Amino acid sequence: MSGTVSFRDWLTAETTSSPRQASFQRLYFGWLRLRANPLTLLGLGIICALVVIAIAAPLIAPGGFDDQSLDARLLPPSGAHWLGTDDLGRDIFARLVYGSRTTLYIATLVAVIAAPIGLLVGTTAGYFGGWVDGALMRINDIFLSFPGLILALGFVAALGPGLRNAIIAVALTAWPPIARLARAETLTIRKADYIAAVRIQGASSFRIITRHIMPMCLPSVIVRITLNMAGIILTAAGLGFLGLGAQPPAPEWGAMLSTGRSHLTGAWWLATAPGVAILVTSLAFNLLGDGLRDVLDPRAE
Amino acid sequence: MTKLHRAARLLALSSTVLLGLGAGAKAATPRDALVMAWNLDALITFDPAQIGEVNGNDIVGNVCSSLVRFDPKDVSKILPSAAESWAVSQDGLTLTFTLRPDLKFPGGRTATAADVVWSMHRFVLLGFGNAANLTQWGFTKEGIAEQIKADGDRHVVIKLAKPYPVDLILSAAFANNDASMILDKEIGEKNAKVVDGKSDYANAFFKTGPACVGPYRVTKWDSNDVVILERNDNYWGDKPKTRRVIVRHVPESGAERLLLEQGDIDVARLLKTEDLTAMAANKDINIVQTQMHGFTYLVFNGTDPILSNPRVREAFRYLIDYDALGRTVLQYQGVPRASLVPEGAFGALDKKEGQPFSLDLAKAKALITEAGYPDGFTKKMILSANNISPTIAQHVASNAAKIGIKLELEQMADAQLFTRGRAREFQVQLVGWGAGYPDADSMISRHAVNPDNRVEAKLAQYPSWRAAWQSAEINEKAEAARMERDVGKRTAMYHEIQDYMMHNGPMAYMFQTVRAIAVRSSVKNFEISPFGVDYGSASK
Amino acid sequence: MLIAILKRAGSIAATLLGLLALTFFMGRMLPVDPVVSIIGEQADQATYDMVFHQLGRDKPLITQFYLFVRDMLHADFGNALFTGHRVADDLAKVFPATIELATFAIIIGVVVGVPLGMLAAVYRGSAIDHVARVVGLLGYSSPTFWLGLMGLIIFYAALGVVGGPGRLDVSYIDMVEPHTGLLLVDSLIDGEYEVFWNAWRHIVLPGTILGYGSMAYISRLTRSFMLEQLRQEYIIAARAKGLSKMRVIWRHAFGNIAVQLVTVIALAYAFLLEGAVLTETVFAWPGFGRYLTSGLLAGDMNAVLACVLIVGVIFIGLNLLADILYRVMDPRTK
Repeated sequence: MSGTVSFRDWLTAETTSSPRQASFQRLYFGWLRLRANPLTLLGLGIICALVVIAIAAPLIAPGGFDDQSLDARLLPPSGAHWLGTDDLGRDIFARLVYGSRTTLYIATLVAVIAAPIGLLVGTTAGYFGGWVDGALMRINDIFLSFPGLILALGFVAALGPGLRNAIIAVALTAWPPIARLARAETLTIRKADYIAAVRIQGASSFRIITRHIMPMCLPSVIVRITLNMAGIILTAAGLGFLGLGAQPPAPEWGAMLSTGRSHLTGAWWLATAPGVAILVTSLAFNLLGDGLRDVLDPRAE
Repeated sequence: MTKLHRAARLLALSSTVLLGLGAGAKAATPRDALVMAWNLDALITFDPAQIGEVNGNDIVGNVCSSLVRFDPKDVSKILPSAAESWAVSQDGLTLTFTLRPDLKFPGGRTATAADVVWSMHRFVLLGFGNAANLTQWGFTKEGIAEQIKADGDRHVVIKLAKPYPVDLILSAAFANNDASMILDKEIGEKNAKVVDGKSDYANAFFKTGPACVGPYRVTKWDSNDVVILERNDNYWGDKPKTRRVIVRHVPESGAERLLLEQGDIDVARLLKTEDLTAMAANKDINIVQTQMHGFTYLVFNGTDPILSNPRVREAFRYLIDYDALGRTVLQYQGVPRASLVPEGAFGALDKKEGQPFSLDLAKAKALITEAGYPDGFTKKMILSANNISPTIAQHVASNAAKIGIKLELEQMADAQLFTRGRAREFQVQLVGWGAGYPDADSMISRHAVNPDNRVEAKLAQYPSWRAAWQSAEINEKAEAARMERDVGKRTAMYHEIQDYMMHNGPMAYMFQTVRAIAVRSSVKNFEISPFGVDYGSASK
Repeated sequence: MLIAILKRAGSIAATLLGLLALTFFMGRMLPVDPVVSIIGEQADQATYDMVFHQLGRDKPLITQFYLFVRDMLHADFGNALFTGHRVADDLAKVFPATIELATFAIIIGVVVGVPLGMLAAVYRGSAIDHVARVVGLLGYSSPTFWLGLMGLIIFYAALGVVGGPGRLDVSYIDMVEPHTGLLLVDSLIDGEYEVFWNAWRHIVLPGTILGYGSMAYISRLTRSFMLEQLRQEYIIAARAKGLSKMRVIWRHAFGNIAVQLVTVIALAYAFLLEGAVLTETVFAWPGFGRYLTSGLLAGDMNAVLACVLIVGVIFIGLNLLADILYRVMDPRTK
């Protein structure tokens, strides 16, 4: 980077002088387009806020998430308890704040597990075709044709309830759509001239897949996983709702909602707070994913 | 943009119409039918020989009459039912029932002693879990033909293995809902199938609705949806007030409450505390309640080196805020009780003696210190994901944490919880149990007595075995009490056992179950007792 | 051609078998003992052993699986342990309930979702696009069980404009013959308009809530398919030729996305058939999803395997359709 040219100029220069500059430019222009959409920004803002809340939970929350008091149970929202208290007299706001950790933890880990698996399976199947494709896609079909919640439920029941197993189970339901998408992308680019050129140069299949095909699939995979994040959060909440997600007294939103279910008519705030939290978070991921798609997916242009 | 606006308006309009069309008159239940909502998940059979859960018992109790019944006002007393009287021989080994002359099946045929004998034989021969109601009193598959016989059309003669106290045997083996229910032998024999070379005594046939002499008969059963009972016009007793009883599967307390408030059902069987509290304030709705003979309790696994220490187990009894839980979370659902014999059963300690514990962290700390674990320990506790179990468990865990005991909770489906319990695969388990009959013997013979503690004995029907707990002394005392025919002495013996178990036993009993049912005030005389609900007495 | 069809059939069979195997062995991993579900918690070991034997659980796993697949081929699903009925009979009751609900929902999804998606695409970036987006994304992001509870409180308890949980008020139970198992249809066949009306009141809320989710999905995809079409040169050419906007959109663009849309709608429908577990729980709807969940939690693999097989068949059928369309549509995959 030259000292006389500002960073901004470097980013917006009409001719690029290095591949690095080119990719930074792509990112920058992407960011500009992203910024142009207020809803996308809103989504991003909510997620950022959530991350901050999760990190600073002890500073934000008024007390711990398991401070019980049977004398102060089911209190409606007030100055002392912003969102009221639950059936064991615990402050719902505090639980909600700590619960953001669980939710983000699940979402992140599932993404980190499911995306690479899906990408690898999908690109491998698409690139090799033939029996490899057949076998991998059959496995994919098997997992896809299972109702997501049921598959997760089965695995959690088999592995034992708890946060870690819930994440594994949800990840098991999250990779197949990604694999399908990656395969479809691979199918459309594997015959491309530049792939043929790389192959003639003697590159190994592994190298072609990881260096030339995966990066091409990455944008749509990122879009897909962001959009699926809402589904992941809802599945995890569904598990929590059925009592098989994070175990009490951990403040998982789905489990909180489940407790609130029995107090719906008498103490509406129990179910409302986590319900809205789940809704807002998954909405934020959807807004962001939607915006990202506009930016990253070349065909959406 | 006008087209756009028009389209948007159309959209809004069409959705309004969609919902608006749903508007209509407020519903009411039919006058000649009693409509109940309940969770029927567990219901899998109506065959009295096979029923092992509360839904089936409750319904079949209104379909099949048994020889004698519990007095609904005081279940420790026995009243005549299909048998108008009974007599015991001098040696206490022969029991003779005399049947009423007017017992008629819905088809019109008169029920005789042969029907009673056939029904009780199949009860034992089928060998389902229920058979234990008879086999634990010495009735056997091999000997049953001699042990239960007909004498003419109206007399049933029972040969007892030992001279048990007559109240005990009547209560445990005959009044207890299912064992002496009278099924139609002719229909049964006609519909019996051979499975694996053995007769099924019409089990498959009676599963969907037994032919009995009771007040109602089952006319429809869609699993997890609805059960419909129609009045049996040939019933020998008081004619049931309502012609039909409809039991509808509604597994959600909130949904049941809404249905009840709207008048779409007459009776809500499943309401949870908060909904009941709200219903109590509604003048159109009454709450009927009774103390059941069941418990919510903690089980400690005796194979665990720490939990096998009686002082550690006793410490847990001081970690529960009985009063606060009882008036909040467990209102309408349970009353504090630490003795293993439920209040209302024969031989039970009274209310005060039966609940000497209270929340006392210092005492609990002293007890674990005495046991050698002053800094506490970490254990896993398994529990049901349903109902109030998670709330109780979190309460216990929170108090335990205050004295250094870390309890890690693990929720699961009921079937899984039971499987784990029966296999001794747990450290601490939060679970429930219902006594079979209102006599101290019922709980003590399963929860205190453990005939064989070896793993390979697999006595999973004994919670004491599941907890790997055994006391030769208690085994002996319980057996002696079971044979004691003097009422006063038998009571004293049970008191002694209860005292010992409260401080040394493998369970920490916390709450005796309460059953509270919300009933619309248009329904009169809806009466419940710890061992059943009489649908026929209710009227609208 | 014949070989291609045979290969396809082979792969479908392999998928189904794999699905069953996965379910079967997952079932065996469950720490739930179906024997305990049957005999009850208080039963003794002799009873346990008897039922254990009756269920054939003393045979080797592979034998059990083989016997199960053999029975399946004879269309014999056996008995559901947790209901006490034959699985086939249970399914004949729960499946129509779910089909009715899913069909209601998909109709809402299509009738509202497709026009909404079209509008959003045509007026891209306008207020309606943003509204459609937020409405759609909200549907995507809502926990349906929560919406269901809230809906019950507002529309049933407070306003009384819809029916409560269940498919009918009790007074209407058993009033129509189960010709199809779909109450809305059966009641019309029998001319019982009151029953129809009652069934309608009961299905409106859960159907609409489920339909909202599908609507979100369908409208989003309609929008993106449509945007892609609107960018195509022929559309621009057609517009240049002076054809009216509406005509271009409906005759040309919509015609081209119809095939893709059918696939999407079919998938949304399949998802509704299998995915309404929580809604069915909240609305006490005696349907397929709840049946499957209860079966799973009771460790009842007869019921679960039969359900999974059905879901698999539905899914694979739709997949096949999607694949064929995909091949026809996109020359690059050839």
